[in-house]
Amino acid sequence: MPIHEKSLIRPENLEVHEHLEIEGVDVSGHWSTFIGSRVVADYNEAMEEEIAALPGGEYIHRCWQCGSCTNSCTVNALNPDFNPRYWIYLIRMGMESELLRDKDIIWQCVSCHKCTHVCPRDVVPEGVMKATSHWLELKGHTPKSHSMIFDEVFSEQVFETGKIEDGRVIKRFFKRTGQALAQPWMVDMVKGMLRNLPLGLLTRMGLATLVAPRTKDWGDARAAIEEYVAEREEHNRKALGLDELIQSARTEI
Amino acid sequence: MTKPILIVGGGPAGLAAAHSLATFGQACILVEKEDRLGGAPILEGYAKLVPSGEWAKDAIGGMVDRAANHELVDVRTGTTVSSFSGEVGNFTAGLSNGDSLDVSAAILCTGFTHFDSANKPEWGFGTFPDVVTTSQVEQMISSGQGVRCPSDGRKPQRVAILLCVGSRDRQIGREWCSKICCTVSANMAMEIREELPDCHVYIYYMDIRTFGLYETKYYWKSQEEFKVKYIKARIAEVTSDGEKLIVKGEDTLVKRPITIPFDMVVHAIGMDPNVDNKDLSAVFGVDLEPHGYIGKANSYSATGLTNRTGVFVAGAATGPETIDDSIAQAKAAAMAALEQRQLAARLVS
Repeated sequence: MPIHEKSLIRPENLEVHEHLEIEGVDVSGHWSTFIGSRVVADYNEAMEEEIAALPGGEYIHRCWQCGSCTNSCTVNALNPDFNPRYWIYLIRMGMESELLRDKDIIWQCVSCHKCTHVCPRDVVPEGVMKATSHWLELKGHTPKSHSMIFDEVFSEQVFETGKIEDGRVIKRFFKRTGQALAQPWMVDMVKGMLRNLPLGLLTRMGLATLVAPRTKDWGDARAAIEEYVAEREEHNRKALGLDELIQSARTEI
Repeated sequence: MTKPILIVGGGPAGLAAAHSLATFGQACILVEKEDRLGGAPILEGYAKLVPSGEWAKDAIGGMVDRAANHELVDVRTGTTVSSFSGEVGNFTAGLSNGDSLDVSAAILCTGFTHFDSANKPEWGFGTFPDVVTTSQVEQMISSGQGVRCPSDGRKPQRVAILLCVGSRDRQIGREWCSKICCTVSANMAMEIREELPDCHVYIYYMDIRTFGLYETKYYWKSQEEFKVKYIKARIAEVTSDGEKLIVKGEDTLVKRPITIPFDMVVHAIGMDPNVDNKDLSAVFGVDLEPHGYIGKANSYSATGLTNRTGVFVAGAATGPETIDDSIAQAKAAAMAALEQRQLAARLVS
């Protein structure tokens, strides 16, 4: 193999047997090194459609691979492996296993939207990154991210009461992510509040934390929101074939 | 009354030249080697034309009627020119049927010949029935039959269009870009998606040259509205696993080899010089340019000149050309011929 292609060999594709005998010949050690095939054997045509079905992914099919997104990317400047152009291509052609190699960095998009402004085809790569992170979570490839858990805690409370009470959001978030509430910075912040805030405001804040007030006549709004959320979730489940996925996982177990 | 002008070739260029000359009162004789007029769009059975979207049989058919029905146009189909002598204003053309014509000038509108895919055997044409050319798909669409796999008549679920088949390929002595295949392929991909919405269409390209305003109407639209996929890969080989066609190559953007199954593979065949160009060159005494097309003189003073005074050239005879530009060139060549007639008349008086 020409030397310039050595960089294309991935360590996980190298297979070496300490002890191996083939038809009576001992080929133990590096003699028996095999290189797994890199050949792309098919396109998964569902993948682009799945990600396009999630909010932000709608315009992925416009991409013509100019690389402006990657060139302008804030995160790419810090980590050259963060390559939106490349991921968009993998998604469009349905090269799932290749995309999954980067599943633990795709969520690192900081939503600066430089790519959105520079993209000549209005692909909105930032939205695609968001949709892709979402897709990875829904498909179970990555655990729920802290930011997703925070969003859930936050919106749950809005749906319940029509109001946001920061203390309760933080309490629930820490609990659900398995973090201690009494973190040093938190203790400092509460101490500072007790020292500096007027007594009346403190009393009201304390009461709100305890009794969780609701917006008046919130019931109808809540029902409408919940209906919409259920619709969206149903849509996502269908688009990603999650029910079938769960079903097949159950059968396997 | 001046002598008629000889027009060789009854495709879009020849028809346009004939109509222009006749409109200005200039008699002409239109010689066509096939038994009917219309050129490649009619003889090859093209479907909808780029960029008008009109059916070829309507658009070019209209040109045929307009030219053939004109009293100053004398049409000779199934005929070729076998000799051509004399000088400007005073030529004698001998036809294959034995006729001899006195003409004042000639306009060569002899067009091109589609690349024969059999010359790229590694891409499976002639070996696998479901490997077809863009001309064949045009015929499937224009005949109303629809896009079907020739092997068993099924609707394809996945189609690959390979660009630059017989273009930009020094291996087979064809260095030119055939100019129209990218746009025609993008248009065809949309037509396939329109007829068969469940069929995925992939275009394998080296570069995309949907030049000028075709960018929006074909390249962008095919992706934005029809979700056609473009893959930068020059295909190495088309084989078969017994059921499906297997397209092998390298996806250059992921630096990985690909072996992808397809139901149908379409060769976007390029435009070769007309196979008759050597004969035409000998008969009319015109030089061919290095690729084998009819050589054009520079076009700053007059358009459509060859190296022989009184012999003009227009359209795809001079190199890969669009239908629109072939028509424009033919009108320009007709104008150049009329200018020459005017000049000669002034000299005489």
